Amino acid sequence: MSANEKVWDVVMIGGGPTSLAAAIYTSREDISTLIVEKGIIGGLAAVTDKVDNYPGFPDGIEGLHLAENLQKQAERFGTTIELDEITTIKKVDKYFELQGAMGSYKSKTILIGTGSQWKKLGVPGEEEFYGRGVHNCATCDGAFYRDKKLVTVGSGNSCAQETLFLTKFASHIDVLIRGDHWKASDVLIKEIESNPKITVHFNTKTDEIIGGEVDGIQKVTKIKATKDGEPFEFDTDGIFVFIGLVPITGYLEGSGVECDEAGFVKTDLKLLTNVPGIFCAGDVRSGATAQIASAVGEGASAALSIREYLESNK
Amino acid sequence: MKKVTIYTTNTCAYCAMVKKYLDGKGVKYNVVNLDEQPEKQAEVYAKSGALTVPITLVEKEDSTEEVVVGFNLPRLASVVA
Repeated sequence: MSANEKVWDVVMIGGGPTSLAAAIYTSREDISTLIVEKGIIGGLAAVTDKVDNYPGFPDGIEGLHLAENLQKQAERFGTTIELDEITTIKKVDKYFELQGAMGSYKSKTILIGTGSQWKKLGVPGEEEFYGRGVHNCATCDGAFYRDKKLVTVGSGNSCAQETLFLTKFASHIDVLIRGDHWKASDVLIKEIESNPKITVHFNTKTDEIIGGEVDGIQKVTKIKATKDGEPFEFDTDGIFVFIGLVPITGYLEGSGVECDEAGFVKTDLKLLTNVPGIFCAGDVRSGATAQIASAVGEGASAALSIREYLESNK
Repeated sequence: MKKVTIYTTNTCAYCAMVKKYLDGKGVKYNVVNLDEQPEKQAEVYAKSGALTVPITLVEKEDSTEEVVVGFNLPRLASVVA
């Protein structure tokens, strides 16, 4: 029977650490489990160069490697993974019907685990040069900037970690931070401070991304910013933006699932949404701490709640 | 399809997803690793107008080319169908 014909006990939307952890628990208890992922198995964790604070790995672990391990473990217990993009969810009789770009799926319960994506700066030039000078994925696109100058924007752990990764390629990196301090961990800040390739600019707001033709290629050449209230320009070959995350919930429109003012999904303490049978965990959940370790923990908790729900709704 | 080429880098997780998808569909492809062949970056830009990976280039039987930028699943599915 194909993934589209079967009625699943649970369909997990999004294939990041939350769903993979939940799937390890559900599949291991013979709860039929389908994960539907539109992008990358492992989510944002998989494109992180090095995960240094996930318990159990004293030397850290590559994000992609961690994601592959989680996937293998879930698949070992029987989890099925489909590559598809869910576009709508609706309740039809006793089941939920999930419509995807490439097929539809039926399930008794749903776990919302779509996580979040990078926020955009919203400045002129960002859309125009996206993918040719403006980037969010250092592990993907860093190699285009061998011996080039870069700008990174952000103040959190992700920005600090990705900036350090980009020093493998770039000759120099200017980090633009809107506030007057880092929000990253002390360990990362110390690494940044001791790296001669990195200059940090506090109180610096990114205003515009300027491009032009260089060697026949239309690309980013300059960042216009405001530093300490004064106009300031940074010559650069590219800009990587890591300024925070927004939840991925577009497919929930019309589903009746309630979100908070910022668009994150509301749940109760059992990770159940306001719609019976639809659970939510991980970065997309209102109140989540956006850490891989907590996403995995929430995934496990959600799995137990799903099991309880399925047993009491037989 | 005559030929499929994926432009990748060593640490690109989305590139691994493109390969996984094509493997699942039984589509054969060539890989150009830009970490090993940085001189091919200009070729990537010329074909796609982008400085990013993965770039999947599909050469059709009628010699036309289709380019998929990133891991865009619906587009990749329609191009290799």
